[in-house]
Amino acid sequence: MDKHDKLARVEQDVLAAMKRPGIGYLAALGCSATLFLTLLGLWGYQITTGMGVSGLMNPVGWGVYITNFVFWVGIAHSGTLISAVLFLFRARFRTSFNRPAEAMTVFALLVAGLFPLIHLGRTWKFYYLFPYPTQRMLWVNFRSPLIWDVFAVSTYLTVSVVFFYVGLIPDFAIVRRHKEGLAKRIYGFLSLGWTGTRRQWKNYNQLYLFLAAFATPLVASVHSVVSWDFAMSIIPGWHTTIFAPYFVAGAIFSGTAMVITLVVPMRKILALDRYITDDHFESIAKILLFTSLIVSYSYIVEFGLAAYSGNPFEMEQFRYRALGDYTVMFWIMISCNSLIPLTLFVRSLRRNVKYLFVLSLFVNVGMWVERFVIIVSSLARDFDPYAWGTYSPSFVEVGITLGSFGLFFTAYLIFLKTLPVLSITEIMEHL
Amino acid sequence: MKRRLKRRDFLRIMGGVSGSTLVSSCGSGNGPKKFISYILPPEEGILPGEATFSPSTCAECPAGCGVSVKIREGWPIKLEGSPGHPVNDGGLCIRGQSSITRLYHPKRIGSPMLRNGSGKVRRISWEKAFSTVSETLDASRASGRTNLFLSGRTTGSLSGLIGMFCGKVGVKRLPEFEVYSHSEGKEANGLLFGERDVPRYRIENADFLLTVGADILETHVSPVSYTRQLSRAKSKEGFRWYHVEPHLSLTGANADRRIVVRPWQEAVFLSFLLRHLMEKGPRRGEFPREISEALPRMSVERVSEATGIPAGTLQEVADRIAHARRPLVIAGGVSTAHPGGLEVAGAACVIQWVTGAVPDLVDFRRRENYESVGTFRDMEDLTARLGGGEVGVLFLSRTNPVFSLPEEVGFRENLKKAKLSVGIGDLPDETMQEVDLFLPLSHSLESWGDVEPRRGIVSLQKPVLKTLHDTLSEGDMLLRLLHGSAGEGTASGYRDFLFDAWRKRFGESGRSAFLEQGYFEEPLPAKRVSLDGKKAASLLKGAQAGMKPGEPVLVLAPSLRTFDGRSRGLPLLSEIPDPLTTISYGRWLSVSPETAAGAGLKERQEVTVSSSSGWSQVLPVKVQPGLPAGVFVACRDFGESPPLRTEKRTGGTIEYIEKVTIGKTGKMAAIPILSGSPSQQGRGLIPDPVHRDEKQHHGRESLYPEHVHKEYRWAMAIDLALCNGCSACVAACYIENNIPVVGKKDHLKGREMSWLRIEPFYGEAGNVDFLPMLCQQCHSAPCETVCPVYAAYHNPEGLNVQVYNRCVGTRYCSNNCPYKVRRFNWFWHRWEKPLNRMLNPELQARGAGVMEKCTFCIQRIRAAKDKAKDGSRTVRSGEVTTACAESCPTGAITFGNLLDPESRVYRLAHSGRAYRVFEGLGTDPSVYYLSGEKGDPGKKSHG
Repeated sequence: MDKHDKLARVEQDVLAAMKRPGIGYLAALGCSATLFLTLLGLWGYQITTGMGVSGLMNPVGWGVYITNFVFWVGIAHSGTLISAVLFLFRARFRTSFNRPAEAMTVFALLVAGLFPLIHLGRTWKFYYLFPYPTQRMLWVNFRSPLIWDVFAVSTYLTVSVVFFYVGLIPDFAIVRRHKEGLAKRIYGFLSLGWTGTRRQWKNYNQLYLFLAAFATPLVASVHSVVSWDFAMSIIPGWHTTIFAPYFVAGAIFSGTAMVITLVVPMRKILALDRYITDDHFESIAKILLFTSLIVSYSYIVEFGLAAYSGNPFEMEQFRYRALGDYTVMFWIMISCNSLIPLTLFVRSLRRNVKYLFVLSLFVNVGMWVERFVIIVSSLARDFDPYAWGTYSPSFVEVGITLGSFGLFFTAYLIFLKTLPVLSITEIMEHL
Repeated sequence: MKRRLKRRDFLRIMGGVSGSTLVSSCGSGNGPKKFISYILPPEEGILPGEATFSPSTCAECPAGCGVSVKIREGWPIKLEGSPGHPVNDGGLCIRGQSSITRLYHPKRIGSPMLRNGSGKVRRISWEKAFSTVSETLDASRASGRTNLFLSGRTTGSLSGLIGMFCGKVGVKRLPEFEVYSHSEGKEANGLLFGERDVPRYRIENADFLLTVGADILETHVSPVSYTRQLSRAKSKEGFRWYHVEPHLSLTGANADRRIVVRPWQEAVFLSFLLRHLMEKGPRRGEFPREISEALPRMSVERVSEATGIPAGTLQEVADRIAHARRPLVIAGGVSTAHPGGLEVAGAACVIQWVTGAVPDLVDFRRRENYESVGTFRDMEDLTARLGGGEVGVLFLSRTNPVFSLPEEVGFRENLKKAKLSVGIGDLPDETMQEVDLFLPLSHSLESWGDVEPRRGIVSLQKPVLKTLHDTLSEGDMLLRLLHGSAGEGTASGYRDFLFDAWRKRFGESGRSAFLEQGYFEEPLPAKRVSLDGKKAASLLKGAQAGMKPGEPVLVLAPSLRTFDGRSRGLPLLSEIPDPLTTISYGRWLSVSPETAAGAGLKERQEVTVSSSSGWSQVLPVKVQPGLPAGVFVACRDFGESPPLRTEKRTGGTIEYIEKVTIGKTGKMAAIPILSGSPSQQGRGLIPDPVHRDEKQHHGRESLYPEHVHKEYRWAMAIDLALCNGCSACVAACYIENNIPVVGKKDHLKGREMSWLRIEPFYGEAGNVDFLPMLCQQCHSAPCETVCPVYAAYHNPEGLNVQVYNRCVGTRYCSNNCPYKVRRFNWFWHRWEKPLNRMLNPELQARGAGVMEKCTFCIQRIRAAKDKAKDGSRTVRSGEVTTACAESCPTGAITFGNLLDPESRVYRLAHSGRAYRVFEGLGTDPSVYYLSGEKGDPGKKSHG
């Protein structure tokens, strides 16, 4: 096969995904959209009735909503890691994952951004959180980590969207070539007049490199800021200096797992085996193993610090975390995040895509549970023993959580049919 | 030239038009809805926005505490204890605070109701009601039936009027019915001193107080009065207070030393003390001979074996009482409500006599006016008369015998045999649901009246608003009935009747002073009593019998929150948890930790308690530290008609159910226990005395400038040696700050809204300390820095204020608060009409999604500052205080400006006893707690 044929084949294979949708696809989309509509309905119910429809209480003022927020922000992270950091490190296997991973980043951030709004007692006053000029001279409190959050997440969303879009420009031009009528005009517009001249490529590469360099620190900073929502407080179990690296590692860990969860079925359904190989999966499994080890180390350090501190509040918190009301959650977390990923030391398992898929599901669950354990068990047992209490989520919270997956998959499924699922030009480059 | 409308003209016209529209729309079409409707306009006129105060008397329990009613725009919104009042001197208990919710209670009955033959009730007019009563009275007399009048304890002019009414209309007045009739104490006093009444105890003059079962902090005769006196006594060097009881009560929890006695063995213990006094006491020479002879000789070991009190403790108490200069013994409560109760009360009397407590500490001159209160047996007699069909009209005024009497007595069934039962009351309680005719009673804030809770002390009741419903005061009812039947020259209304009576009693000027002050203290001649030695000796002989209950035993304890059950209906009282168990809604069975462990009982587990007589009740378990094994406790109002027996000699109730058996139902009950842990887990919220002086220093390095306070820095000092957990402050806080009552469902979820709570912490020995926890107004507040929108902000006076309008509800502040004193509004809270009338207009009712918290009653600070500003000065020390501090019966809470070195709070905060909770966190709170074990007031150093 000559070079030209190969290139044509890539185009054909990747763009094959953008054919008319089948029944299976429509069913999946319908399910996801229904879940999302459920979220909207339940949220409306919560707004009109009050936050009391959740299971939140005293002393646990944050529960599943904030867990979801951290979870989805975490998911978002590996997209940037794969596309930007690995780009800078010239890791070639990145090419197979970067488009779905970037899409995942954008959608996960959209979902994540919803949760701070959902958890507000007065959602309709959400704009108070932004520093806008008012004649009453009201300003936000820049000492509050929640304000840092507003900036971190909105910056991250902006950069991710731009990065995602810039990476798509040459591919838009290719799609334009294959489309007719209105679609052609839309893709043509989106491709910003891309013609693939040398000069365009030169500028494009410079911009891409710049954006990659710009996005890379965000990988560390955004989730550090998210972790400071907790670390800046004085709650035992939250107030600790290791939170930033611990959360960043956790975010990459969970994000990588989510990439595997998404890409394995995508590869199968869209028959992309040629482009996403077992070698590539092995590389990503190594990232998973590496971050799992960091996360496990953090768990040990947390307990070590508590034991070493001599601080009765801290010590009781970690005893409670392991053996108290949420002990089942805690051991799910340890099993899914620390024990099961250890199997990836075995090479044959790293290369077993089906195994990786199952494992990634466990990690997704484990990482969600990790956030739940950190948030809820710390609040449930802080300083004043009189005020201790236990929280369990209500059906509204469960519904909204499922609905957030609905929103994510709705967006992801639409992505599959409207945008090239792999970066055609990059694959061509590496041929 | 075209005439053009000038801008100024336009404005003028618009002004005229809109002004006149406004004026014309003022007379609303919905009839006269007066916003400000005073019955007695204050002399200085009504100023919207300014509170006025009117004296009155609390009618929630028989103690008769003086209150000062806070009125805003014609509506009473809060009750405060009336300072200087001879009964309560400024303090007001949890029930008193809550009694305003009785006035605005949504379930109050608004008009007379008559039950027809088929059992249905319908509204009738007062005329019809009166004519029904009058006709039935006449008809009964004609048919030879007796007409009877039964009421709860009644004193003052109303008692006189009832007597007059009964005399004129031919109704027999029955002894009054009170669950806590103190019949054993009265009987003993009658036998030994010839005074069949409860004396006034002058605790403040004693240097050693021994209470035997008497729950002086909860319900015993006059709790606020006793509490106040105790505080005064505690401020004296060397005062000690020991409490002996078979179970665990709030009173016992607060004594310097609590001694657990085997049930019914108190008399043995007291005889031992007497013997010791006879042999070693300072007056051993003056002992009446009969008594010396009657006293049993029992070795310490035998007494210890019988009472379950260790020999060392017995010896210690005996030495203390023998060496005290002015010891006082008070017996009562559950310790006299058993078959040997008369002996216990009698032995206490003898000790009072031989220690010289009579008449200085045990004052029969100012006795507590309980002589007209009958006994349990009187009620059995009444039931028998009802059953015999010999009763015509039966008046039941302010009493609920259907609820309080045992099922076996059969009062409910026999009540139907009366020709006409007439209930006089406010809420549809158990008795009122059974009566034929219901006459709705005005609240004490709606009617004129007086009470005489203590001989010679008359306290005023004065209406502060028109009746909310079509109700009458009891006096007016009786007078109108009199008019109907006798038609002779009685006064036209109860007000005139009272004014007449007061003029006769106090004179013209005395009456004016009475009306202004709200109380009158008549001088009374001294009263000498002497001990009847023979009778004492015979009682003491009985004391050694040592009756034993069939074990295990269930003690029915009086309830701090509901008294004998009469205050059950008030929503606020269920919302505020019982301080010992922290249970808010529902009934429970307290089980000792040993018994629970032995029987495998867990907290919240549902059990069936049954007695040998076949009675049983399902209750959830509360494991109660400090409770002796084999003793179960339930509140007296834990169920309708508990199986109680009558004590044969005194006619009193035996508040014990013997030989109870406990069976598991296998279910868990949904009961809100608000405390997350009965122990403080070694966290030093109330520091161990050993560690008290270890100050934790916390360097504060901050990037931000320190807060600067120019004129005020508000602070509070809470004396834990005085705080007894009575929760009056909590009730005051709810009412002052419009805190919503959220109900059981939210309590089960941990969503109570109290800004101030009482945290009980149990030690290993079962001792308990109470910690009132409210916003600590930290100087370096964790809540403030985390709020993204500055809703939690530090004001220039050192308060952590919460700007409700700015709050978006992230709940971060609450998460970050180490004291967990912030409350989130989970729903839109509603005040069922007319409870909304009680809302304090000084601050808003918060909407859903907003965090709220204690602000040291910022509205009061605001008012005081405004007043000070009128005088071009700053707020003086003592000019402003918080609702909790104002209500506190012990005076444990002090509020003031920490920048003023002259202020009391400054002195207390700088005293050696001051500490702050979780000082090591560096939050720098403005609430100072004064530690000091309750048992050692001698070591106190006041600054």
